[in-house]
Amino acid sequence: MDIVLGILRAILFVVIAYAVVFVAALVNIYFERRAMAFIGDRLGPNRTGPQGVLQSIADAFKMMGKEDFRPLLADPVLFTLAPVTVMIGAVAIQLVLPYTQGLLATDLNIGVIFLVAITSFTTLAILMGGWASRNKYSLVGALRAAAQMISYEIPMLLALLIVAMIVGSLRVSAVVAFQAGYEWIGFYAPFTFLMFYIASIAELNRGPFDLPESESELVAGYATEYSGMRFGMFYLNEYAGLTIMSMVTVTLFFGGWMGPWSGALTWWGIDWIGILWFLLKTYVLVFMLVWIRFSIPRLQVDQLMGFAWKILIPLGLVNILATAAIILWVPEWKWGLAIFGWVSFFAFVGLFDPLLKRRLRKQRERQPVVSA
Amino acid sequence: MYDHFETPEPDEAVKLALRRIEESTARGEGSDVDGLEFNEVVVNMGPQHPSTHGVLRLVVTLDGELVKDVIPVIGYLHRCKEKLAERRTYFQYIPIVDRTEYLASINCEWAYVMTVEKLAGIQVTRRAEFIRVITGELMRIASHLVAVGTFTADLSPLGTAMVFYMFRDREVILDLMEELTGARMMFNYYRFGGVRYDLPDGWVERCRDFLKMFPRKIKEYEALVDDNAVFLQRTQGTGVITQQDVVDYGITGPNARASGIDLDLRRHRPYSVYPELDFEVITAQHGDIFDRYRCRMDEMRESLKIVEQCLDMLPKGPAQLGSLRAPYVITPPPGSCYVGQENPRGEYGTYIESDGSRYPSRLKYRDPCFCNLQLFPKLLSGNKIADAVAISGSIDLVLGGIDR
Amino acid sequence: MDIDAIAALLLERFAGELTDVRIQEPDTIVAGCARERLEDVAARLKADSEVGYETLNWIAGVDHRTSFEAVYHVYSWKTNTWIELHVKVPKADPEVATVTGVWPAADWHEREAWDMVGIRFTGHPDLRRILLKDDFVGHPLRKDYVDLAENHPHV
Repeated sequence: MDIVLGILRAILFVVIAYAVVFVAALVNIYFERRAMAFIGDRLGPNRTGPQGVLQSIADAFKMMGKEDFRPLLADPVLFTLAPVTVMIGAVAIQLVLPYTQGLLATDLNIGVIFLVAITSFTTLAILMGGWASRNKYSLVGALRAAAQMISYEIPMLLALLIVAMIVGSLRVSAVVAFQAGYEWIGFYAPFTFLMFYIASIAELNRGPFDLPESESELVAGYATEYSGMRFGMFYLNEYAGLTIMSMVTVTLFFGGWMGPWSGALTWWGIDWIGILWFLLKTYVLVFMLVWIRFSIPRLQVDQLMGFAWKILIPLGLVNILATAAIILWVPEWKWGLAIFGWVSFFAFVGLFDPLLKRRLRKQRERQPVVSA
Repeated sequence: MYDHFETPEPDEAVKLALRRIEESTARGEGSDVDGLEFNEVVVNMGPQHPSTHGVLRLVVTLDGELVKDVIPVIGYLHRCKEKLAERRTYFQYIPIVDRTEYLASINCEWAYVMTVEKLAGIQVTRRAEFIRVITGELMRIASHLVAVGTFTADLSPLGTAMVFYMFRDREVILDLMEELTGARMMFNYYRFGGVRYDLPDGWVERCRDFLKMFPRKIKEYEALVDDNAVFLQRTQGTGVITQQDVVDYGITGPNARASGIDLDLRRHRPYSVYPELDFEVITAQHGDIFDRYRCRMDEMRESLKIVEQCLDMLPKGPAQLGSLRAPYVITPPPGSCYVGQENPRGEYGTYIESDGSRYPSRLKYRDPCFCNLQLFPKLLSGNKIADAVAISGSIDLVLGGIDR
Repeated sequence: MDIDAIAALLLERFAGELTDVRIQEPDTIVAGCARERLEDVAARLKADSEVGYETLNWIAGVDHRTSFEAVYHVYSWKTNTWIELHVKVPKADPEVATVTGVWPAADWHEREAWDMVGIRFTGHPDLRRILLKDDFVGHPLRKDYVDLAENHPHV
């Protein structure tokens, strides 16, 4: 009986995971187009269905109806496998994400590390797609995307280490339980949250870090040779990733499914209000991701890598040392963390731009005036 | 498996690029990697691409990410306007001139009409001169809005929002022009000796409303773009046009002025009523992408000043020489004439040779973008390809003028 | 220097080489030049210390039915004036020396003159068609140009 229940439970979670990924992708596409239009003083899709909500579904049908071909010289196995693999990251992460009290697929004892490890599947899929296309420029685009993603996994990991240090455990359920009573880790370590958030934007190839995508304006991106539903998989994964990464961020930093009136509606051991809070918090972060995308110009490849290696990683390491020191030696370590967290957050936010501008101004003064 | 492929025969430009690679390899500058003869690849940024500059084809020789050489291929928008001139009367040709630099079409008309007036010795009424300056400067603002908007769109998704903000303001200008001339883009408004329609009632007030509203908008756009560290990093220091380039290649307009060269045909070869107006010629020191962008923004402000002065100084009188309609058929005396005018992109002019008949014998355009595009190979080489897109956006090309 | 003084200066320095010098108000000097002397005259016009004509504005190819003509319009920064050189080119032998060595801007302008009128510029680094397709037959801006079907086979 237990085995049957176990199998049913597993199937339920797989269905939920896939449903979340696909529905989230479709919702995000519509949401982003609407938000982009709002920022650009336009309307966005508002014809297909009431207020245009069926636009994503129409796009999905269009993509499914396209001719599915494979370039003759493309590697047959990898070319088909790449779009399949790309979804694995988004789906498998949900293994350890608690949607709410009682809806957690597996409480892995290394849950936090698992989160970062699984995102590498997307990197793998991009590399597979670029290589299988037998197109020099797809390969270069894929390599560049992969380099960006692995560079930014390090600040993500450093941030997660801090979370693990604060909580004292690598279990995701322990992380959420720690945040009961509004003791959100985001309030104790805001700078860590900022680092994690920026790294996750780069992981998603999103926002100011979307050079691998913009390459397709000029030269082929990694998904050029794909069309129809194969391309649809890459495309959907990118948008599903917005939601999935935001879910991860919310779980780790903002209390997951906790919120006011949390225990009120509990049926079958599942806290239904928690789902609402979880989704609400996730979509606040998704909106911020969309907002950031349309506010900042694209970073060049050297600026991108420089930012990861020369700024985020050293600051992350300093952060780890400081956090460890505070936890070990400061008796009221929660207060100590909070003070250190907010001071470092405001210092970073307040100083980064002026320092960068000052360096640019000095560069500008040294720049030679054109002479005949 | 390989028989299914038929590589198309490369055309002249690609053959030239390949020949140049062979020559550089023969000179010993081949690849530094074992087993490769040369590093470079020839890529076609074809006539259709998501960048915004029209049907321009660039055959780019890339070494990894660096652009080694660019061969621009033009002619995809060639409409043989110069040949059309030989079969149209001077009056019939005015709408055709509109369609060269279509973003600033009134300025193109102005150059043509000025040339014919000089050739035929036709005087322009004073009121019409002021109306010409007002419409010319309004379209200069509109053209710069498009130039800056599409340029920021090249740099980032931020630009897609910027494009729409700027187009929203351009709509106000185009509404004013539609009220005045009946058209939004191809105006067909200037006539020999004046303009076609006089200002309608209330137009001056509406124009003044726009002048009050617009400086705030310019500040808004500058706040969005100028203060942005990423934008500054990408645009300062790249795409420098030296003063020697300006002299050698005949670069004019904001591209030249951003390199510190003080050349503005409204000052150096004054036409119409510009000698009576008070405005500054905007120059900048560094000649890079950022300076060209700043020149255009400041020029918009100067144009606002000019329009305001003209609205204040607008004299009463006829808007057109002659009773009601402009002369349909004029026959200038035999001779030739060239008049250059300050188009938003540079010096735009027409050279007309007349043999005394009703048709021009030869009409030749001096197009600013044609001359600016010649600088491309020199300007883009040595830059990363993403910078190349930014640079080509900052030069502000309109293919209609290049190809005619 | 006002325009009359410049005209006098040019007549003095280029006596015999610049023919029919006249002034087109307000700031252009129009002159004819023999095509054999063009390269030399161009180089000296550019290098002249008082009226250095350094920037080439445009080159036009013109068909005058009995002969061709190449018109060069050059700007002088020092005096803020222009010069318009008219070089007659016979129809039987439509060749003229290139001036890309003197004014680099001449590159594309000469290509356009070749493309449209068929004046061949000897010594040009890369004389190809610029606006028309590479295998176009004929030179459209000639007065005796007839539209050939082979130029647009699909229409």
